Amino acid sequence: MPPYSSGHFARPLKTVLRARLWYVIIMAVFGLFVVRLFYLQIIRHDYYKQSATTGHLKEYEITADRGVIKAHNGTSGVVPIALNQTLFTIYADPSLIKEPAKVAETLAASLKGNQSDYEAKLRSKDTRYVVLARKASREQKDAILKPKYPGIGSQEQPYRTYPNGSLAAQVLGFVNDESKGVYGLEQALNGTLAGQNGELKAVTDINGVPLAANTDNILKQPVAGSDVVLTLDVAMQKQLEDILKGGLERAKSNSGSAIILDPNTGAVKAMANWPTYDPANYGTVADASLFTNASVSAPLEIGSTMKPLTVAAALDHGSVSANYTYFDPSKYVIDNFTVKNIEEDGGPGTKSLADILNLSLNTGATQMLMRMGGSGSEINQTGRQVWYDYMTNHYRFGKATGIEQGYEADGIVPDPNKGYARDLTYANTSFGQAMTATPLQLGAAFSAVMNGGTYYQPHLVDYTVDAKGKKTIKKPTALKNNVVAPSVAKTLQPILEYVVTKHSFSRQFDQNVYSVGGKTGTAQIANPAGGYFENDYNGTYVGFVGGDTPQYVIVVSVNKPKIGGYAGSMAAQPIFGDLAHMLIDKFNVTPKK
Amino acid sequence: MGRQNTFGGRNQNAISFRGNQARSLGPISTTITLIVLACVLGLLYLTQVTKTNAYGYKVNSLLQQQQQLKSEHDDLEVASARLQSLDRVQSSTVAKGLTPIAPSGTVTD
Repeated sequence: MPPYSSGHFARPLKTVLRARLWYVIIMAVFGLFVVRLFYLQIIRHDYYKQSATTGHLKEYEITADRGVIKAHNGTSGVVPIALNQTLFTIYADPSLIKEPAKVAETLAASLKGNQSDYEAKLRSKDTRYVVLARKASREQKDAILKPKYPGIGSQEQPYRTYPNGSLAAQVLGFVNDESKGVYGLEQALNGTLAGQNGELKAVTDINGVPLAANTDNILKQPVAGSDVVLTLDVAMQKQLEDILKGGLERAKSNSGSAIILDPNTGAVKAMANWPTYDPANYGTVADASLFTNASVSAPLEIGSTMKPLTVAAALDHGSVSANYTYFDPSKYVIDNFTVKNIEEDGGPGTKSLADILNLSLNTGATQMLMRMGGSGSEINQTGRQVWYDYMTNHYRFGKATGIEQGYEADGIVPDPNKGYARDLTYANTSFGQAMTATPLQLGAAFSAVMNGGTYYQPHLVDYTVDAKGKKTIKKPTALKNNVVAPSVAKTLQPILEYVVTKHSFSRQFDQNVYSVGGKTGTAQIANPAGGYFENDYNGTYVGFVGGDTPQYVIVVSVNKPKIGGYAGSMAAQPIFGDLAHMLIDKFNVTPKK
Repeated sequence: MGRQNTFGGRNQNAISFRGNQARSLGPISTTITLIVLACVLGLLYLTQVTKTNAYGYKVNSLLQQQQQLKSEHDDLEVASARLQSLDRVQSSTVAKGLTPIAPSGTVTD
């Protein structure tokens, strides 16, 4: 036998065969695994992926924080007037409540409600979901959930909250249950305030917690909305609202509006309407018209407050000069209708521009229109066209101002060349009838005249601060230059001061120190059925307060006052007077040099 | 004598001669080794995934904490704004004790 033959050292054949058998078995088992896994993971991939993700893949929308609305507070910075708060809905599943009386006692102690009412809800048999309280605070929620009663739960919900209650409510608007801004600023700036919601798509555990190891998770971070700082001054706004409300009560009027504008920038410093509402409880408001900001969305015939603008147009057009006088017949017959003045203004006589505004002569405004057409005794097509151009292109009547408000109205300016009784219609427009404008449009146009000829877009936003802290200042936007020549303002300012001096106020103004000027308006109210109501009038007032130049422009409108006398003089003028005094007394009006 | 002590000598076990040859694993050993390696790698993977998920829970918990603190911050801001609201300031005892100054710039009748 050779020394190294296999027979001597070889493994037994049985062992080798056994090993090979095991090898084959193991390989077969693995082969089966491979085949099965191939089937499960490759062929049935989509099916099992969907089955797995259906249970664990969850999509969440991450709501972006809505921007806060702030306003100026004198010189001491800004304060929030609309911000966000998380409140809680407390609910119960009555079928799981073991001790209704005890739970009701806890609820009553925390929510200050009636214990028996809560107990009745907790004993409901026909439902598994009962809302026990809405808008509960975090402290209330914690106190209720602390005992861990089975069947009691809470759901958090973001709400807009207004620390100053109804202050500037119609300017702000509100945020509805779908987190969408409606009315006012919330509507107009919804895109800026709302930001962009984020998204989380992730595989989660049984409790809904995303599993970080899953590489397919998608996280899109939300982008918070920008904070908006308004041009409003909260103290001025509060004063304006109080004065407006008091003035309307004295005038026995149910509604009215008031605005304070900076004529040199178009910034709205205060703006309010009465009646108003509490935006935190908008759901309780029965009359939806309360939601609209009448100062920008309710055009009215502005009456004689148009006359300073008519005179300004005639001066700017060169139709009349500052020392222009004319013979006023006290009435004109136009298109077979008589345009006349009020009896107190006396009869025919020679009148000046100051007389037109001080005595509020309708015939004087009509005379300006005649002069714009190159005539002194009749209205013609040229005059209508020139005045139309001033109304629509210079004063921008008939066009929304573009202020950051929902539902802004355009107002109406009649066509100069079409329609019935065009001359009469245009005579009416020269003293603020037969056309409509919002109080804001009136204030913006008057500001353009008084600041020397620049029409600044009225605006409420001073600046915005985005989520990264970037501040964007909104610069004043001049929508029209050369509205009138600067000399027109210089002519009108003393005339309007004279008008104020000649009219009585509860406290007169010292025109040697401050410049206070203005003009009343009393306008008939159009009857939707045609013509005008016999005994219903709107009172309006437009004026300014300042030193050498106007610093604030004030517009007041009082709807259907029941006080005696002319609505403009008796209802709107006192409110203007109080507002002007308020500005002089409390808001640092720069005196004349 | 010397020869007998020499490695690779005549009477040595023949198997000893394999010491200088290349060794290789048999198919079973290779398979088992691969399986063990796969298991180790699998375990390593599972450990990492578990660790990552544990961190995920931690992150989630911190996010919730952050959200809670943010909500509390918002609540405090609201409370602060309410305390400074004009109506509240107006009706405060301090405000009631203030005396209005005489207005300027007006003509008294």
